[in-house]
Amino acid sequence: MKKLLIASLLLAPYIPAYAENAPIAGSVQTRCLITTDTNGVFGNPLPSKLSTASADGGVLPVIRYDVTLANAYLAKVTTPTSFDSSPSLVDSVAWTGSTAVTNTSDAGMSGYEAAKVTYGYTTQFDLTIAGSTWFSSTVAAVYGGTKSFPGGSYTAIVLAECIAK
Amino acid sequence: MLLALLPFGNAIAHEMTPTYPKFTASFMAGISVTTLNLFNKRKDVAYYEIGVFTDEWEPVPFVSQYTVIPMEYLDTISFDVYVSNLSVDSVEYICSVSQIQAGATVSSKICSRIK
Repeated sequence: MKKLLIASLLLAPYIPAYAENAPIAGSVQTRCLITTDTNGVFGNPLPSKLSTASADGGVLPVIRYDVTLANAYLAKVTTPTSFDSSPSLVDSVAWTGSTAVTNTSDAGMSGYEAAKVTYGYTTQFDLTIAGSTWFSSTVAAVYGGTKSFPGGSYTAIVLAECIAK
Repeated sequence: MLLALLPFGNAIAHEMTPTYPKFTASFMAGISVTTLNLFNKRKDVAYYEIGVFTDEWEPVPFVSQYTVIPMEYLDTISFDVYVSNLSVDSVEYICSVSQIQAGATVSSKICSRIK
């Protein structure tokens, strides 16, 4: 065994080593990536109210925008005005919604919240700095004034848009 | 009451490039073409709808391999958009919108702009 080992060591320099290059190619482009960090959950603080606010027992939906080029995109987040799915409802539902910046990857983005533009249920942010920005939406639905929501599953959709400038 | 309970902490993403596509002459006379790439990192989305719009967000007639693109999770697809030369100057945005299925709570839309 010892002789075999010594023989192997002596032969090692004479065994040719084969190698092959394996190139990895890629390109970096200007891009906007929309990521859902947290799906929202409705809390039910009152029989007639569903809300994503933490104080109401809900979970705010959180959406992250990643942009690689400064001043190239507008972020628009639109809160829902109807349920995507729900039990049958016989009365109207009153919706309220708002979107705010909750976290940023660059301190320079601190001005996004003050500069946002709100029209209807849509909030628009001008992404003037490259990096990541997190937005959360507070959504509330009130049924027929004081009626109770019927039992069942309710879902509503937040629309997150990234529009090139 | 059963509320909308959905898993959170689940990152799902949608991406479309290039940001500023350009139309060029296609192999057909009177038709211009541009190529875009779509990446689907959303497990809850299997289809994306493509749309072409003016600066006033009016739809512009176009042709592509798909109007609604089927995409599996982690798929990257390259698709062509063909527009008549009569309409190409009015094209401002090309957008992809996720066609969400039951259970999803966020619909994502990304628009590239023609320069």
